Amino acid sequence: MSPHTSNLRRLLSEAFTNLLPAMPYAAPESKEACDLAVEVKNLSVSIRPKSVAVFSNINFEIPIHCRTALIGPNGSGKSTLLKTLAGLIPNYSGEVKLFGSKPRLGRSRIAYLAQNPQLNSDFPLQLKRLVQMGTYAHHGWFEECHHADEKVASALKLLELEDLVDRSVHNLSGGQLQRGLLARAAVQGAEILLLDEPFAALDTKSREIVEDFLFHKNNSFTVIMATHDTADSRQFDRVLEIRDGSLKTIHACAGHKNHHA
Amino acid sequence: MPVLGIKITMLNNILSAFQEDFFLRALLALFLSGISAACLGSYIILRRMSFISTAMTHSILPGVVLAVLLGFSAYWGALIAALLTAAGISWISSRKGTSEDSAIGVMLSVMFALGIAFMGLSHSWRDFTGLLFGSIVSVSAEDIGVILGTTFIVLFCLRLVHKELELASFDEEYAHLLGAKPVLLRSVLLILIALAAVASVRLVGALLTTALFIIPSTTGVLIGKNLKEVMLWSVICACGGGTLGLIISYTFQGIPAGAAIVLGCAIPYFIVRIKNR
Repeated sequence: MSPHTSNLRRLLSEAFTNLLPAMPYAAPESKEACDLAVEVKNLSVSIRPKSVAVFSNINFEIPIHCRTALIGPNGSGKSTLLKTLAGLIPNYSGEVKLFGSKPRLGRSRIAYLAQNPQLNSDFPLQLKRLVQMGTYAHHGWFEECHHADEKVASALKLLELEDLVDRSVHNLSGGQLQRGLLARAAVQGAEILLLDEPFAALDTKSREIVEDFLFHKNNSFTVIMATHDTADSRQFDRVLEIRDGSLKTIHACAGHKNHHA
Repeated sequence: MPVLGIKITMLNNILSAFQEDFFLRALLALFLSGISAACLGSYIILRRMSFISTAMTHSILPGVVLAVLLGFSAYWGALIAALLTAAGISWISSRKGTSEDSAIGVMLSVMFALGIAFMGLSHSWRDFTGLLFGSIVSVSAEDIGVILGTTFIVLFCLRLVHKELELASFDEEYAHLLGAKPVLLRSVLLILIALAAVASVRLVGALLTTALFIIPSTTGVLIGKNLKEVMLWSVICACGGGTLGLIISYTFQGIPAGAAIVLGCAIPYFIVRIKNR
């Protein structure tokens, strides 16, 4: 890329960002020190306007680095809560803060992994490229992307995917793909991981690797994970249960205040 | 050795084509148009939008006919009609009860029928055969200028939003989460398709322009392991197949160039398809 083209890209990027301030694509986030990763007060969410609320007036706080399990029966609103935190559901009432500011799109510090990621199965893409896409969170419109090769390599290593870098994502097993998506979130620089049943498609080996990534290996993620598997609640610092439209704390680790709502 | 004699005559015939000005101009127009159509076509195929590209290429008919009737540039007429179609599809499909697929079908048929109606009003169908079937061998310097400009705009825009388009095409939700407006990107892609379609219609005609977008890229998708490779192979197939078509049309007088180009583009597809079986 010649310096002229880079300058042109930078100029265009600045002009576009200034013209359209309502498009905070990959806006740089100041990393203010904050003890609370998530703060939710009186939150009510309806999927469609004027329809019955999935849950109403729920309150909870999640300290930084806390690993939280979100349990509850099917349809109780676990996914809706995660999507609201990710900024995918803008119509909610109440107060929600992640690292002190409202959920919105374009926040590199927050990563959300859907239960069934809707990936285009016709699109040819190799695993390495999928993980590199995490770096897009740090580049604005029109900006040339610099693939942080070291970051990508270390994320792939953490999730034990080094041998599969050139494989098409469509030839990966469910577990390998899930690990690839987590590697992408790591490259993105996410600090809060919102995971919707990530263990659902995993075999024992993949599950061990993912657990190791989320809970050990000196990673300091704040994890909020929807799960049906209560057997593993020991892994989590706290367990929140959503049932019949309200939320209660089942188990909180020592030092974390038990919070009922 | 009569067989050898025929072969040598054909070879001479083909070589003489490359000394003709009109043939070289046609080749240049084809390469320029093929490059933009193949790059856009890669996205069209990978995003499963082939029907929409058919709609865009067919719906420019009323714009061009009206432009010719009223005496202004056919390119402007075509561009306005294509943009109207894109807007119409977005508007109809945003209403309840009509899927995007049906919206495309409605706009395609309405615009094409309008075009035929306007042609009837002009009382002379002959003027428009070039529009329906293309006339690549009579491209003027002005046409080449328009095609060159369009190709430059298409490639420049695709290069600028390459990472966003790639991301939104593969994982729309992640693109949305990062704030990279997938809906806006889709509109940009539609406008670029409209532009490229307008430039290609002069070459292969309104009925076959869509083939230039779809066939080379379908071949590219069979070969490429990633988007870059898909685009590269699509361009190679468009230019290579197109050249083959032009030569066929030159050698066997009577076969229209537009049809020969499309058939030429289909040859690599069938070779790869059979080889990959």
